[in-house]
Amino acid sequence: MGKILSDLGIYWTNFIAQVLIFLIVYGILKKFAFGPIQAILEERRKRIEGAEADREKVKAQLADSEAAAEARIAEANETSARLIAEAKVSAAAFGDKERAKASQEAQDIVTKATEATKVERDKQLASLKSEFGKLVISATGKVTGKVLSNDDQDRINKETATQLAN
Amino acid sequence: MFSSLGDFQVTAFQLASVPISAQPLVEQTGLFAALTNSVFVALIVMSIIYFLVRAGTKSPTIIPGPVQNGVEFVFEFLYNQVEQVVGPKVAPRAFPLLCTIFVYILVANWFGLLPGVGTIGIGHEGTQMGFFGLSEEPKIPLLRPATADMNLTLAIAMCSMVVWFYITMREAGPVEFVKHIFAPKGGLTGVMKLVLIPIFLFVGVIEVVSIIFRPVTLSLRLFGNVFAGENLLHAMTTLGDTFGFGPTLSFISKIGFTLPFYFLEILVGVLQATVFALLCAVYIQLSTAHDEEH
Repeated sequence: MGKILSDLGIYWTNFIAQVLIFLIVYGILKKFAFGPIQAILEERRKRIEGAEADREKVKAQLADSEAAAEARIAEANETSARLIAEAKVSAAAFGDKERAKASQEAQDIVTKATEATKVERDKQLASLKSEFGKLVISATGKVTGKVLSNDDQDRINKETATQLAN
Repeated sequence: MFSSLGDFQVTAFQLASVPISAQPLVEQTGLFAALTNSVFVALIVMSIIYFLVRAGTKSPTIIPGPVQNGVEFVFEFLYNQVEQVVGPKVAPRAFPLLCTIFVYILVANWFGLLPGVGTIGIGHEGTQMGFFGLSEEPKIPLLRPATADMNLTLAIAMCSMVVWFYITMREAGPVEFVKHIFAPKGGLTGVMKLVLIPIFLFVGVIEVVSIIFRPVTLSLRLFGNVFAGENLLHAMTTLGDTFGFGPTLSFISKIGFTLPFYFLEILVGVLQATVFALLCAVYIQLSTAHDEEH
C-alpha cells in the first residue's frame, strides 16, 4: 500500500496541503460567490416578479380603462343619436310651426293690404264722388244759370253717386 | 527491425519525461516539503479564482457589469445542471461542493496549459543558462499542472466523498441508505423476494466496494488524463530534437507538433472537470433519489 502511494507520489503532507487548498477555494467561493450571487439573483428574481405583477396590474387597469372608455363612447353615441333624433323632430316641428306662422303672417298681410286697398279705394271713390258731384253741381249751375239750393245740391250729389255706383 | 523498434520505444519513453510525483521546491524533508511545484500552482489557481470571484461580486448590482454577468452566468448555468441531476431538493446542499470541484479543476487544468508550466524551473542540467532560467528540461519545474498530482485529485475526491456521505445521511438517513444498498428492489414480494434477498445482499457488498473505490477511480481518472496530456505536450515539444531536426526546423516543430494537442488538452480540461463534477453529482443523486421518491 505504502509503495503504491509512494509510486503515485502521494504523501500525507502534500495530500493535507492539497485538501487545505481545496477547502480554502471552497471557502472563497462560499463567501464571495455563492452567497452574494445567490442574494443578487434572489433580489433580481423578486424584482422581476414584482415588475411582472405590476405589469399584470397595469394590464388589468388598461383593460378596465378600455372597457370604461368603450362604454362611455357607446353611451355618448347613444346620447348623440338620441339628441340628433330629437333635434330632427324638433326641427321638423319648428319648421312646421314657422311655416304656419309665416303663412299666417302672409295671410294677415294680404288681408290687411286688401282692407287697406278697399279703404283707400272707398276713400278715393268718396273723394271722386264728391269732386264729381261738385263738378255736376257747378256744371248744372252754369247750364241752368241759377244758384242751386242746398237741397238741390244734395239731390244732385245723391243721384250722381247712385249713377257712379251703378 | 526489432532493435530499431526497441530503440524507438526507449526514445519515446525518454520523451515522456514528466515525473509522476510533484517535486518539492524548497526542501526535501521538513515542514516546507509540502510546498511542491503542484501545491505552488494550486495556490496560484486559488488566487486566480479569488480575484475572478472578487472582481465579479465585489459590488454586485441589479444590472450587472461584464465580469459580474460572466460570474452569474457560470453560477446559474452550473446550478441548473446540478439541479437537473440531483433534483431541486438536494441541489442547494450539493451545489457548493460540485461548483467548487468544477471551477477548481477547470482553472487548474487550463492553467497547466499556459506557457512556462513545466518548462520554467530550477537547476538546468547541461545548459549554459545557470541555476534559474528557461529550458526544455529543468531539473525541478517551478510550475507543474496541479491536477497532474495525485495528492490534489485524491484530496478533491476524498472531500467530495465526505460531502457525499454527509448529504446522504442528512437526506436519506442511515437506515434508508443501508436499505437502498442491500434491500431487494423492484417492488418484489413473497417467495421471489426471499429468494432474491441473498443476491441483493451480494450486490450490496459489491456496491459498498464500489463506493469505497470511488475516490480512487475519481482521482486516478483525472490524474491520468491530465498527467498523460502533460506528457504528450512534453513529448510533442521535444519531438523535433529527438528526430534530430536543425535549430530552425526544431523550433517550428515545437509549435507545429504541439499546437493541435493544446486544443485537445483545452477540451480535455473542461471535459475532465465536467466528468468529475458530474460523477459526484450522480453519486449524490443515486443515494438521495430513494428519499425523494417518497
